[in-house]
Amino acid sequence: MTDGHDHHHPRPASAVELRARALEALLAERELVSTDAIDAVVELYENDVGPQNGAKVVAHAWVDDAYRGRLLSNPNEAIAELGFGGAEGDNMVVVANTPIVHNMIVCTLCSCYPWPVLGLPPTWYKSPPYRARAVSEPRAVLREFGLELGDEVQIRVWDSSAEVRYLVLPMRPAGTDGWSEQELAAIVTRDCMIGTALPVAGQPVGA
Amino acid sequence: MDGVHDMGGMHGFGRAVWPGADAAYHERWEPRVFAIQILVGLERLGAGPGGRPVREEMDPAQYLAASYYERWLYSAEQRLLRKGTISPGEIEAMMERLSAGETEPEHHDHAMAERILADLRTPMPMGAPAEDPRFDPGQRVRVKRMHPPGHTRCPRYVRGAVGAIEGVRGADRLPDRSVYGEQVDPEPVYSVGFSSEELWGPAEEPAWTVSLDLWESYLEPV
Repeated sequence: MTDGHDHHHPRPASAVELRARALEALLAERELVSTDAIDAVVELYENDVGPQNGAKVVAHAWVDDAYRGRLLSNPNEAIAELGFGGAEGDNMVVVANTPIVHNMIVCTLCSCYPWPVLGLPPTWYKSPPYRARAVSEPRAVLREFGLELGDEVQIRVWDSSAEVRYLVLPMRPAGTDGWSEQELAAIVTRDCMIGTALPVAGQPVGA
Repeated sequence: MDGVHDMGGMHGFGRAVWPGADAAYHERWEPRVFAIQILVGLERLGAGPGGRPVREEMDPAQYLAASYYERWLYSAEQRLLRKGTISPGEIEAMMERLSAGETEPEHHDHAMAERILADLRTPMPMGAPAEDPRFDPGQRVRVKRMHPPGHTRCPRYVRGAVGAIEGVRGADRLPDRSVYGEQVDPEPVYSVGFSSEELWGPAEEPAWTVSLDLWESYLEPV
């Protein structure tokens, strides 16, 4: 996944793939777009920007109450403290789960997503079923992710209809006393920060 | 625009997750199209109302059939064509050259790469509203009934519904007009919370809330 612009494919190119390669070739031939700029953007989102960033934010909030306060009251600056920010993270809002509130994020109109802390969205987040149903039957959707919440938990769905981008701050799970920030970050999966999963102590590191 | 992209509440699309749905993309060309679309915007190579409104103009059946990055490919092409950066038929001509075995041309400009990375890392937060916002936290508001033919950020499923102002997110230009090049002043954008009952009527699931960020122009007092 990090081989830059390797255009040599072992199988026949699909029509859309050929079209995409032709567009890039045309723009490169005209010297309008540089091949290294395309490589740089691809590599940025494959190597530097992804849910590992959001996991560091969450783990830091779990061990540092003052940081947690700043993260909720002034999320742009608190996230920038850890070195993250930029496109599609210009107006962050962090929503905290509690024993009686569970947050989940969606973008029904498009697929808006907080790139600086979560990277590029998974296919399901961009697809019609999630975009259609997260707002109209959230519990049914969460059950498909394997998440069953008690009736006492109120679900709050955040539809990213404007320029605000959301990050869910999950609760620190039981059984993690004494864990290092790094160990904690390892159990904060991407889906925990979208709101379709909960972090579990001892769970193998997932998405 | 009341197109198929406005999906909130639609039925019939099936399960939310399936094997393979966890990946951001599956094919090498997909992140490259993502990058090209970003470059078209930042290097000002395209024209028209921006990638997202252009994708919303896709033929509905084509929109639903296309993968996410096929839509981005469509919008990148459309924006380049509308500006005259490329001409009709040029992509097809290059497809023929590549199919015939020609090596893809490359262009190297490290300064462009640095410029794009710097742009992507530069935050551009909304400002605060210039004046006291019209609505206060806790106030009940109704989303206007409307049927806009162009780009909008007011989904169908909240139109006509009554919600409560949760706070002001900042000030931003109304996209319904600004994406078409109209000069409009920033206006307050509010977080507005709606009960599930208000949006969907009685449901089998315990009640939930849905919150959206809505421009002041979309709202009226109750």
